[in-house]
Amino acid sequence: MTVVATDGRTLDGLTGVLRRIRPRPRWLEFRLLALVAFAVVAGSFSLALTVDGRFGLYDVGATVLFLVALAVAHLAQVLAGRRTDQILLPAVAMLGGISLLLMQRLPQDLVHQTILGVPLGLAEVQLVWLLSGLAIATTLGIVVRSDLWLRRYKYTWAAVGVGLLLLTFLFGTELNGQRLTLQIGPIAGQPSELLKVILVVFLAGYLSENRSLLVQQDSWIGPLRMPPLPYLAPMVAMWAIALGIVVVQRDLGAALLFFGVFLAMLYVATGRISLVIIGLILFVLGSALMAVLFQHVRTRVDIWIDPFADPLGAGYQVVQALHAFARGGLLGVGLGAGLPEIGGVIPIPEVHTDFPLAALGEELGMVGVIAILGLYLVVIERGMRIGAAAADDFRSLLAIGLSLVIGVQAFIIAAGNLKVLPLTGVTLPFISYGGSSILVNSLVVGLLLALSDKGVEPPPAPRVGSRWRRLRRSGVA
Amino acid sequence: MLGSHEGRQPIGRATVHVAIVVSLGFVLLAVAAGYWGVIAAADLVRSPSDAAVIAASRTVPRGLIRDRAGKILADNKLDPNGEMYRVYAGKAISQVIGYASSVYGRAGLERAYDAELTGLTDDPLTDALAKFGADRYDPKDLSLSLSNELQKAGVAALGKRRGAVVMLDPRNGDVLALASTPTYDASGIADPTTARDTFEAIQADPDLPLLPRATLGRYVPGSVFKIVTAIAALGSGAINATTTYEEQPGSEKRGLLVEGFRVRDGHHPSTGSTALDLIGATEVSCNIYYALAGLDTGGKDLVAYANRMGFGSPLPFDLPTAVSQVTNGDGPEPGGFTDDVELANASYGQAEAFVTPLQMALVAATVANDGELMRPRLVTAITGERDGTTAVAPGSMGRILSVADARDINAAMVRAVEGALGQQFTTGAKVPGVTTAGKSGTAELGGSGEPHSWFIGFAPAEDPTIAIAVLVEQSGRGGEVAAPIAGDLMTLYLQGLR
Repeated sequence: MTVVATDGRTLDGLTGVLRRIRPRPRWLEFRLLALVAFAVVAGSFSLALTVDGRFGLYDVGATVLFLVALAVAHLAQVLAGRRTDQILLPAVAMLGGISLLLMQRLPQDLVHQTILGVPLGLAEVQLVWLLSGLAIATTLGIVVRSDLWLRRYKYTWAAVGVGLLLLTFLFGTELNGQRLTLQIGPIAGQPSELLKVILVVFLAGYLSENRSLLVQQDSWIGPLRMPPLPYLAPMVAMWAIALGIVVVQRDLGAALLFFGVFLAMLYVATGRISLVIIGLILFVLGSALMAVLFQHVRTRVDIWIDPFADPLGAGYQVVQALHAFARGGLLGVGLGAGLPEIGGVIPIPEVHTDFPLAALGEELGMVGVIAILGLYLVVIERGMRIGAAAADDFRSLLAIGLSLVIGVQAFIIAAGNLKVLPLTGVTLPFISYGGSSILVNSLVVGLLLALSDKGVEPPPAPRVGSRWRRLRRSGVA
Repeated sequence: MLGSHEGRQPIGRATVHVAIVVSLGFVLLAVAAGYWGVIAAADLVRSPSDAAVIAASRTVPRGLIRDRAGKILADNKLDPNGEMYRVYAGKAISQVIGYASSVYGRAGLERAYDAELTGLTDDPLTDALAKFGADRYDPKDLSLSLSNELQKAGVAALGKRRGAVVMLDPRNGDVLALASTPTYDASGIADPTTARDTFEAIQADPDLPLLPRATLGRYVPGSVFKIVTAIAALGSGAINATTTYEEQPGSEKRGLLVEGFRVRDGHHPSTGSTALDLIGATEVSCNIYYALAGLDTGGKDLVAYANRMGFGSPLPFDLPTAVSQVTNGDGPEPGGFTDDVELANASYGQAEAFVTPLQMALVAATVANDGELMRPRLVTAITGERDGTTAVAPGSMGRILSVADARDINAAMVRAVEGALGQQFTTGAKVPGVTTAGKSGTAELGGSGEPHSWFIGFAPAEDPTIAIAVLVEQSGRGGEVAAPIAGDLMTLYLQGLR
């Protein structure tokens, strides 16, 4: 590797790399991460005290490994010296820490997976994902300096997205009535997780390019002034894709997420509430159509309206989740002290993917739930701030869209857990068990970190010495 | 194109709007977390579908249930897996105690008092503190006013017939017997090894053994309802004890014409042309007299007085009760009657009048307790190891009518049992050596088989200590079937059987 140093000399190899490292302290991030570390250690102690005999040195090792990884991520960013956001990573690390504690607390046999020939249980697999996610976020936050690769090829990305959807439709495996998982060789994943990032990239590119046109109003739909009709085509296309996701993947949550993020980005780009209203009308029509056509949609809605109608059958999962929140009460029963097992089984089926918030609601209480919701709001706030401060429309829309992907997804599943919305099978970002979810959400955080770079600091103001030195230099003294 | 600041329309405002909407969404979630975690929590954590309650029910012994003599009616046993199940003292109490089964849920008192028997508190603070303690559950024992012996006697008296017996102490509302037949084997349902077979056999039985007839059965009352009409008529001042109707004797032969409908009677041969007063009309169960009294009282007051005794809404009781009614209430006339024909027929217990045996026992108790109705009380005390004993004091449902009016009806009911003519309608109701009051009823079912046989009454009439309602489904005339059962049971009680 050959680099040119500032003084014009050519430096070779390792020396060159080392010369380029200009560490910049990130004290805010350090302090926040210290808080996170304290909380995770406290949580581990709490678990060790309540979950007798099951929580051992081994689990302490996992916690330590997680904290070491945080330290390494922090150090890497310090060494990279970029002026990127310092709050995003600690917020996400706290969510990841909560996830690790929860997975250590749940029965380990909920998941059996063999990674590189080693059979692992729930918490161990989740730790692998969390560490990988941390690596992805940090690496992207350090390495990504140009957005051209996203901006230039937006239609290519859109094609990749549609291709993923098609592949899932053709070769996807069905699980619990949803066709979400695509398996290629040894690698299995949920394409809709990646699809949401691709969608935001495409929309950011499309909307930033066509903003001025979309704001023009030269057609009318009823009483609503609209942009030229051809420019509405992407909107209709998005609507069709969202419906397609429901039909193909039977995944209501992803459809809701895509359409919600799309409408928000459209509004940010155009400032036109009329477009949002049209979008909402399309959404309502689409939902009604789905409810008429598909039994699984109707079932979800029925359960949502009255889960107690069939508390031991269709409504069981939702009812047990509400019971968990109720048992938690204001302050919770404490980490590890909740979720009574009935005949050795945790009462909420799929608690580790669909209902982690209910489990945390029981053990950490209403206060804990609100704190977790607050962490997501912090992530959204950082993303919005990064977007508002970004240099151009593409970066603005990208940052806002990416943060909404996390925020809206968290909202949808939390709302499903709390019976505010019908339950849909999306994951709670950074907390739910699952590789695709954690890796893709980490990718989002990595991109947000990169987008938040404030660039090279202006050179410091020339240092003015003491009066005495100035006087001496001028020869007076 | 890259990074051009020129000509950029601001996105800040729209971004702020989106941020506000998203924040409001999260506020909504926080509100929902508060609702489920705090407001709805009080009910949810005590519900039998709560996982903690289910888990506890498998390991924590449920509270015991005892009758008024201290006999254990519901006990616990350990199965080979170390899990608890219930054993009950006998079939006679099955309709009252119900069952607690890991398979079929809860019924009866086991359901109504599930939270107490499991040992969950309804006080959020205590509950919050108990969470941190080693023993979260403090199962409560229930003490009942019920007498297992009287209950068994009631079931035995009904025998193979379908029916119900309710016995109350009119002075304090204590429920001494609340028998329904046929009974069922609640222990068989509670025992996990026999639960399935037992339950399926019971469910297949066309006589509906699971139905607690005393509290949830609704029947045409027939002439026992005349006591309700008497209470409303005297209470509202429409009649007094000496009121007679001159058209009454003349109408006996061909029936009293009300808006084209004929109210008929069967006692004409014995009373002839005498105009009957309240006592005389009650003795021979004169339909025409009570139809006229009901018309005088008016639908509004008839329904109002009935409602004060518990008609029109579920009773304030330890077990769920069916709603007794005077009328469907959807008609245009006062009180909701369709017309005077319905009011006249309801006044002697036909038309759309439907009642539970427990409700009719309360009517008898109202008269017996000189016009003040005591709230029916089944659970008299709740005892927990941690919380100690909480006694349930007797409560009043209010004064329904004056002492003088109650005494008048009391006298009329005495005549109905002791009078020369009355005896023919209430054979066997008299308690030997004790002045007995009562009223029989024969509820016509509109041609569909035998009438329901009813009797309500109390004893001793001078200072009643026991009030009773007996219903035997489709068994014939009230005086022939229900009255002797009531007489025998009141005799047993007054002889000291508890």
